[in-house]
Amino acid sequence: MVFTRTNDASEPTKAGRGSRISSPLPGQVALILFLLVLWELASYYLYNPFWGSRPSLIAQRLWQLAISGDLWMHTSTTLQEAGAGLLFAAVVGVPIGIGLARAPRLARLLDPVIMGLYGLPRVALAPLFILWFGIGLFSKIMMSFTMVLFIFILNVMEGIRTIDKDQLDLMTSMRAGRFYVVWTVLLPAIVPWILASFRIGVGLALIGAVVGELIGSNRGLGWYVESSGGQLDTTGVFSGLIVLMVLAMLANYLIGFMERKIVRWR
Amino acid sequence: MAVMTTEKRAVSAPAKAGSEPAGRVRAELRDLQISFRLPDMSTLDVISGISMTVSEGEFVAVVGPSGSGKSTILRALCGLLKPSGGHVAVDGVPVSSPPPGVGFMFQKDALLPWRTVAGNIRVGAELGGMPAEEHEERIGRLVKLLRLDGFENAWPNQLSGGMRQRVSLGRLLAYQPSLMLMDEPFGALDYQTKIAMGKELLSVWEAERRAIIFVTHDIEEAVALADRVVVFSARPARIVADYKVDLPRPRHMRAMRSDPAFTMLTEAIWADLALPS
Repeated sequence: MVFTRTNDASEPTKAGRGSRISSPLPGQVALILFLLVLWELASYYLYNPFWGSRPSLIAQRLWQLAISGDLWMHTSTTLQEAGAGLLFAAVVGVPIGIGLARAPRLARLLDPVIMGLYGLPRVALAPLFILWFGIGLFSKIMMSFTMVLFIFILNVMEGIRTIDKDQLDLMTSMRAGRFYVVWTVLLPAIVPWILASFRIGVGLALIGAVVGELIGSNRGLGWYVESSGGQLDTTGVFSGLIVLMVLAMLANYLIGFMERKIVRWR
Repeated sequence: MAVMTTEKRAVSAPAKAGSEPAGRVRAELRDLQISFRLPDMSTLDVISGISMTVSEGEFVAVVGPSGSGKSTILRALCGLLKPSGGHVAVDGVPVSSPPPGVGFMFQKDALLPWRTVAGNIRVGAELGGMPAEEHEERIGRLVKLLRLDGFENAWPNQLSGGMRQRVSLGRLLAYQPSLMLMDEPFGALDYQTKIAMGKELLSVWEAERRAIIFVTHDIEEAVALADRVVVFSARPARIVADYKVDLPRPRHMRAMRSDPAFTMLTEAIWADLALPS
């Protein structure tokens, strides 16, 4: 039998593909500027700025607040509350999540309680927390903490659940000690889940802090929004909201950056 | 069948030490029984009375229909599963917890995605009790042996299936086991990669001569690699046949396939498994 060799198919060239994925940043900035311009124009032609303010007024207000030092005072207050609540939730939630994942019977027992607390609209706890913990920082930290805690617990449990059983069997068959397994399998496996919890938690922690401030406080961005609203000062309300939005966005970028640095293997 | 030259041992008398000059017995199964309790409380007999031994430096393949409990005996040998009856021993010591010197390799590579190629191989070195200062040298040698040069710092998700399985083999070898349990290690690979991996395994084994129990459903793979092929029946598994493979070593993967002894043996095993030829 004679085999004839057909001509090798030529490799498709890769020339058509773009060399790199370009940064989305210029487009994002352009979009935001476009929306701001739209807002500004709308405030002249479509509605009375008393109801919705306008970007130029907000920029002016933020400048004044920055010069007087009030901007930093309010921002740092809210940041401290949300940041402390977030970290506290991580410190408490991660070990609880690990513990529950390793004790499935206990986890089943506690499941209704956890889901009940998780389902509870925790902003409704704010009046109680003011009563219990006072109008200072601590009540807001506790608000942020309760908002975020379950995110850490549930994410860490899920992270441990998704660990490949073959990896654990392999460790067992090679007689790995408990500490070795925790250090080389368990902790690295949950790191991405912890970082994801931080990303989800930033927004929730800010909500907790702001809600606490709305109910009872004398400083912070939530307080500023609340007191501006009381004086029918929509520019003040929007100034506070915009600072909060910028904080959440920056925190998100920071955590995204950390994820790329720490979880390089994905 | 009349012209069969390969020796077929009596089914009821499994390989006993003494019938061959090989060294110490590494692994021993005597009248092994394994059954599982199903969710509906009935029991499923997976293994019913298997006895076999594997000697030092011996390469034994186990073939059988899927679901016949081939992998189960490996799990029993490395202490991951407690048999319902019978005797399991490694190096003469009854197995109750994972015994020392026994390495396991799965069909899935089970690499740690957060460790590099070198880092995953290091797991074997770390757990094998090798002095820390020798790790780098051993890892370097394995990387070269398994042709992973240049990929030491790559992450597992950047590798092809064949390369991942080579890393997995590297981790196993770094552990320096005296008994290697391999559970369809190349089963998920494409045909060509599988042949190449088999070749690599043989060259490693010929250099270091560790005892291997190699579970596979691929009859040709079993005959091509092993000294002995043990054939399991369908569940509940018994040993149907235990063949000695008299093909010369080193084996040549391609030339061997046209060797009459090779064809005859694979035919015999096909027949044992009552598969249509």
